[in-house]
Amino acid sequence: METFLLGMDALEFLRRQGFSVLESKIAISEETAASIAKDIGFPVTLKISSKTVIHKTELQGVRAFLINEKEVRSAFNELVHIFNITGRVKELDGIIIQEIGKGLEFIVGVYEDRQFGHVIMFGQGGIYVEALRDITFRPLPIDKKDAKEMIEELSISKILSSPRQKKINPDMIVDFLLQISQLIENNKTIEEMDLNPVFVSDKIKICDARLKISSG
Amino acid sequence: MFGEKLKRLFSPESIAVIGASDSFDKLGYHVMKSLVKGNYNHPIYPVNPNSQTIWGIKAYPSLSDIPYPVDLAVIVVPATRVPQILNECGKKDIKGVVLITAGYKEIDGEEGKALEDEIKRIAYEFKIPIIGPNTFGFVNLTDSVNASFTYEFSLIKNGGVTLISQSGGFCHLCGFLAMEERMGMAKLMSLGNRVNVDFPEAVKFFMEEDEATRVIALYIEGIDEPRRLFRAICNSKKKKPVIAYKAGRSEKGDAASRFHTGSLAGNYKIWKGALRQAKIFEVNSSEELIDTAKVLDICAPMKGNRVAVLSSQAGPGMIAADAIESSGMVLSRFSEHTQNAINKLLPPVAIRTNPVDMGPAWYSPETILNILKVVSEDENTDGIIFIAIFASANLNITRDMGRILEGMEPFKKPVIACFNAPHGVWDKEIDNIDGRKGVAVIHTPERAAKAMANLYEISMKKD
Repeated sequence: METFLLGMDALEFLRRQGFSVLESKIAISEETAASIAKDIGFPVTLKISSKTVIHKTELQGVRAFLINEKEVRSAFNELVHIFNITGRVKELDGIIIQEIGKGLEFIVGVYEDRQFGHVIMFGQGGIYVEALRDITFRPLPIDKKDAKEMIEELSISKILSSPRQKKINPDMIVDFLLQISQLIENNKTIEEMDLNPVFVSDKIKICDARLKISSG
Repeated sequence: MFGEKLKRLFSPESIAVIGASDSFDKLGYHVMKSLVKGNYNHPIYPVNPNSQTIWGIKAYPSLSDIPYPVDLAVIVVPATRVPQILNECGKKDIKGVVLITAGYKEIDGEEGKALEDEIKRIAYEFKIPIIGPNTFGFVNLTDSVNASFTYEFSLIKNGGVTLISQSGGFCHLCGFLAMEERMGMAKLMSLGNRVNVDFPEAVKFFMEEDEATRVIALYIEGIDEPRRLFRAICNSKKKKPVIAYKAGRSEKGDAASRFHTGSLAGNYKIWKGALRQAKIFEVNSSEELIDTAKVLDICAPMKGNRVAVLSSQAGPGMIAADAIESSGMVLSRFSEHTQNAINKLLPPVAIRTNPVDMGPAWYSPETILNILKVVSEDENTDGIIFIAIFASANLNITRDMGRILEGMEPFKKPVIACFNAPHGVWDKEIDNIDGRKGVAVIHTPERAAKAMANLYEISMKKD
């Protein structure tokens, strides 16, 4: 048997493991959604949080860049409506109100390969993931040299050193990848993990995460 | 696992050929030919119950009839007879087996798999290392042991490159390319179905036990436990450069995975990362494998990325300069001392800065080699690409170069030479230069630059 950690549960798990995640809170009413959004500060993103929906975008379960209370309230109602009309309202845990991510988008994955065992994937995130396939893999665990080489192998790393790009410290990404490696070393029951996207600016913050955990 | 046995397998002091034959359409004929014409200089015992002599050598009805100890058995009999013969090998205390016979797990059907399991069991019982089944064999050029069914491998130049291949066909491709490119080899082998000698065992042996091997080249299609290979390399007591050509690259999304990572993970992408992690240098073509291995074997290590181009013709020199820049290296800027020395050697009618046009010295191999020597001592230069293309008028330059080179000290920096001439012209002359004093000959300026860039990357990786 395996279980999935999705939505708020996944972000919460990673936060407890010492990772930075975008500030996220769950709302179960329009009122709380509005007040949480005010606390976090506009703009915000609203996303469905469900233990059964693995691919949120397929359900169109994300509303990004909402700039005021009115937009938050109407987005909240739209997202709840998706579950209402499909008769799946019990599967909805609530709506995540999340701060807006800043910087470059990356994707980090962990996956159990039949021959290599646990491998880590690191790549350029965002809407061009499929088209550009700017990604690289390593068997886990990785060391500092591996992490550095992974970053340098991506085409997007040329942007990191470009003078027009606001300073992104590659060492920070190295440490982040090593932290992922350590997480898997300590938690071998994580079969798969998908951090997509991860925002990198002067900080690294995980925006969305899914984990598949084997039990026993 | 096999102790000294692998050493005896690859450098046997006696060989039995089970299934030896005098008829051309049997593989047993070709194995005998390889051993005899390949100048194997220890006893050969053909085994065949139907002949008194084979290839003019006394034959024996069975392995147990041979009254002398046997180190290596080369087996070329039908698959169903192999288990019984392996039992005989075990009883005779044979040190190793080359099992050329095919028809095991690589074919459809249960029977092949059952036979292979049986072989595995017997091999385990007697602790006999087996190359194969389903292999063309191996060739040890260091000790003139051609235990394969292709005699022509014995014509490969003796050198320091060892090829461990998953495929026999690739050994043939690379072996003949090696001849064409005058690459010296120590051993080449195909692992076949890998009953108990797989990549880790072979790599460990050639790294730790085989002095003649200086560079290891791998051809990999796919293996079940890749991490075992990486561990073997990482834990090896001796370090030698390892390069690999990975085939089977087409990406198959793993439909079983529900996550993004899974569907993006073509197996080859993982291989690519894993090879780099294990400090195995990946090449992307047969030519690149040959060029890189050859340069690693012959040339001094490269300590920086600054390259000088010395060309007897300006055009090919410019091509080399372009290729150097596009492969991440730079053209070196000569020190004042070096530049003055070049200016004394060349008249001011051609470009004397890097890339140097040695055109004016067309008829003077002494001058050409003096420039090479001066530049090889330049403090701002880490490697040299040296070009001379044939023209009717410069017929004699390579001949005299070989002679002068003989009296020179080996180069402490890599020198890659591009010599091109029609077939039959300069052949012997290039032979006399290639591989001497740290000079490796590579066909074209582009390939020379790539080989040098690879040498640089591999040299920098050494701990």
